[in-house]
Amino acid sequence: MHRRTIAITLLLAASLLAVATAPAAEAPTRDEYVERLEKVCKPDALATQRAMKGARADIQAERLPVAAKKFARATLIFGSTVKQISAVPRPSADAERLRKWFTYLKRQESYLRQITEQLRQDHAIKAQRLTARFIHSGNLANNVVLAFGFDWCSFKFSRYG
Amino acid sequence: MRAICVVAALAMVIGGAGAAHGERTQKGNLILRLDGGLSPLRLPRHHPAPVTVHLEAGLHTDDGSLLPRVTRIELGLPAKGVVSTRGLPVCPPRRLRDAKPPEALAACRGALVGRGRLKALVRVPKQDPFEIETRLLAFNGRVDGGRGVILHAYAADPPTVVVLPFQLRQGSGRFGLALVVKLSPALGPWPRLESFEMTLARRYAYRGRARSYLSASCPIPERQTAGFFSLAHAGMTLAGGRQIGTAITRGCRARR
Repeated sequence: MHRRTIAITLLLAASLLAVATAPAAEAPTRDEYVERLEKVCKPDALATQRAMKGARADIQAERLPVAAKKFARATLIFGSTVKQISAVPRPSADAERLRKWFTYLKRQESYLRQITEQLRQDHAIKAQRLTARFIHSGNLANNVVLAFGFDWCSFKFSRYG
Repeated sequence: MRAICVVAALAMVIGGAGAAHGERTQKGNLILRLDGGLSPLRLPRHHPAPVTVHLEAGLHTDDGSLLPRVTRIELGLPAKGVVSTRGLPVCPPRRLRDAKPPEALAACRGALVGRGRLKALVRVPKQDPFEIETRLLAFNGRVDGGRGVILHAYAADPPTVVVLPFQLRQGSGRFGLALVVKLSPALGPWPRLESFEMTLARRYAYRGRARSYLSASCPIPERQTAGFFSLAHAGMTLAGGRQIGTAITRGCRARR
């Protein structure tokens, strides 16, 4: 009985220790984190470029419903990217900085959704104002994670058509 | 017709006039900043109008370590604008060598297309590094048989004159014009570029017609008021072959 109690206690302690140390062991370095995220962002950034191809010309030619479809696709891709990279364990030292970054990314996603909606409703001026905010948020997001040296995960307006 | 395409007309997605915030990028410990703008912001939708382009770029390290040597600079500008050099005098670089700004202007005032400033850190062996700040004059010129911009950089202390020949090349993608200079042959191994700012603009008359060195339009649909375009890209090659680059997006408004 006594031996069993000790064994259970040890097992419990070992499990608690494993649980307690798991996040620390999983927390990647900044370089590892960047590498993991870039692998997610690259195909999505390329897919965005493909999805948005010709969007500028569509807007210029006032084919707003066509542009809306392209923005809708870009919004889906953007949302999926943010969801995937949100799930990646973050370097503990960068937690606050990355929290801010994700706030800006969520804001960008929201602006993209609103732009799509305004284009669908043929509201060009409203879409225009939202685009200004979308770009501004993207630049703010880039500044927050400047030290990470992201390439595919950084916001580049040129990828949007 | 030497007025070949170049600078700015504006790839349009919807957009309001963007405030000019500098964009930054980082590679390793090196940070490149690029800022700039187009003036006026209000431009005709259907034909190019004279514009002034202002660009500022800077390099620094996030840990305060010594800047690497920049061996090549490429400045990209939008493809659908216009750079007109027709009827504009050409300034041969030899006239600028060893010339102070008044002498450079006396020799080539007719070819002047811009002004600016450049800062560099000079590191000579066995001496403490020192900063050098130069005034820039940009002249229309010929580089390797093609169009170019000859940059005259002058510092009073220590007295220094450098002539940098930027070649005007066909760019790629969104930036159809590229101003390219190789720094190593002109500057030697010691200076480390810290920052520069440059304003390019020149109005002149040729055969009774008013012309502008740079022109752009804001080709957005009638019911929109503003648009965005990729204004410029700065790319730098560093000693050892490493590269760093960033681009800026700005807005324009349609003139009624």
